[in-house]
Amino acid sequence: MTALLEVNHVSKQFGNDSKALSDVNFTVNEGEFVSIIGPSGAGKSTLLRCINRMIDATGGEITFDNMNVMNLKKKELKMVRTRIGMIFQHYNLVNRLSVIENTLHGILGKKSTIAGVLGLYNQAEREQAVRILSMLGLGEHIYKRADQLSGGQKQRVGIARALIQNPRMLLCDEPIASLDPNSAKTIMDHLRTISSQMGITVIVNLHQVDVALKYSDKIIGINQGQVVFNGSSKDITKEDIQRIYGSEAEDLIFDIGGIHAS
Amino acid sequence: MEANEQVVTGEQLLNSKSTKRIKIKTLTKSTIVIRITMFFLVLLTIIAFFNFDYKELDIGEAMLATFANMKAMFLEPHFKHFTFTHALHQVFVTLGLAFLTTLFGAIIAVFLGLLAAENLTSKRVSAVIKGAVAFIRAVPTVLWVLIFAVAAGLGSVAAVIGMTFHSVSYLVKAYSESFEELDKGVIEALQASGANFWQIIFQAVIPSSLTYMISWTFLRFEINFAVAIAMGAAAGAGGIGFDMFMASNFYLDIREIGTITFFILAVAILLEVFATKFKKKLKVNG
Repeated sequence: MTALLEVNHVSKQFGNDSKALSDVNFTVNEGEFVSIIGPSGAGKSTLLRCINRMIDATGGEITFDNMNVMNLKKKELKMVRTRIGMIFQHYNLVNRLSVIENTLHGILGKKSTIAGVLGLYNQAEREQAVRILSMLGLGEHIYKRADQLSGGQKQRVGIARALIQNPRMLLCDEPIASLDPNSAKTIMDHLRTISSQMGITVIVNLHQVDVALKYSDKIIGINQGQVVFNGSSKDITKEDIQRIYGSEAEDLIFDIGGIHAS
Repeated sequence: MEANEQVVTGEQLLNSKSTKRIKIKTLTKSTIVIRITMFFLVLLTIIAFFNFDYKELDIGEAMLATFANMKAMFLEPHFKHFTFTHALHQVFVTLGLAFLTTLFGAIIAVFLGLLAAENLTSKRVSAVIKGAVAFIRAVPTVLWVLIFAVAAGLGSVAAVIGMTFHSVSYLVKAYSESFEELDKGVIEALQASGANFWQIIFQAVIPSSLTYMISWTFLRFEINFAVAIAMGAAAGAGGIGFDMFMASNFYLDIREIGTITFFILAVAILLEVFATKFKKKLKVNG
């Protein structure tokens, strides 16, 4: 498998504060499912946003699909962004618009300014949107307004909006942090399917260690802006979890043995 | 904080066996200042009544005369110098003036509002535009019309320019504030998918704030209608306001003023009813 994303010595500093990220290194292969775990404020979201340059890293090198993301001009950066989908904790949909309109927002980046401003989408694009929404089980909610949906449904619209971009990679920023366990499972199952069947690389920021272990091929553990674990989810040990979450991890509410057994 | 110097706990209040009533307000600096201010205001009001220069005017008689005028104005209205259709036509002229200035104002304000919204542009650009607009807003519309009248001459042109000017500043503030209410995440989501500025504006920002924008614009339309009446009288901009000016200052016919007032009242009520219905519909569908 070839490496789709390479992150080399990336660091990020906000103002004069301590470093949010320092010397982060990892590679992600085509079609892999990677989870980034770590305590709140460890720099997970910052790391994710550095990849598509929603935040500019202060140092290092990020290569996506053999292109150095750090040196791209505005226009090239937009082209790269059209190939990276992003999913958010708070879904970030336009509440007043319908499900299908929100989905079609995903292809704005590929359209001309005028077509995008006026919302002119051709039949093929509309069909594609309906197809993706049906695949995600939202077939009957196509014309509903986004704010009439439940959290799980909103997140599925978020996934649809990312998928219609026809992306090589999905960045998911705590996609299940505001969802109940059932909806969370649906979302994670969909992400897993997207990774395994569509061959799209998925990088997920997670708070739930058990979920990360269950779904991912690879886990990256971050603490205070540094990668403290990088390996297969099968190899992770209790000591690794402790290193990621600090000493208080002793009494965390999950049991690592049980998870590996299931 | 001086207010918290003496901390009395709930238990102390309940346990103290004294029959002292529990105070609801504590005596802080601010309550003392408020009470002193109120006291002086009351005092000044009373003193003022004794110091008015009544010019040998009998208050009772004056009141009666005023009521008689009011009665003539509102209970015996008539047409003398113009007809019903003429008045209707003039009301539409005034409405037209209000509509035109609101429309111009709204179009310009959308673009300036986008630039003035802190989440869409930089803080500096936003501060400059908001500052300029605050200055324009601080000067009353009538004054702007008179200022533009220097260049354009008294008449409808000065009225349109001056009213548009003030409408822009009013709507820029209203629009930019509703743009700023938009969740930052929505903009981020579209940026992350490669959408450009104008696409984000028209696909996310404006759809999200459309109901606010419409209700602000309507409010401004109602204000502009009132201003347009005044402009007819003060700046010779035509419309029902000019007829009112003629009736009051030229023909001295208070009964005709009553007629015109009823016309204006009817239109204002109609506008209000329409606006309320329209907004309700927007809330359901929009």
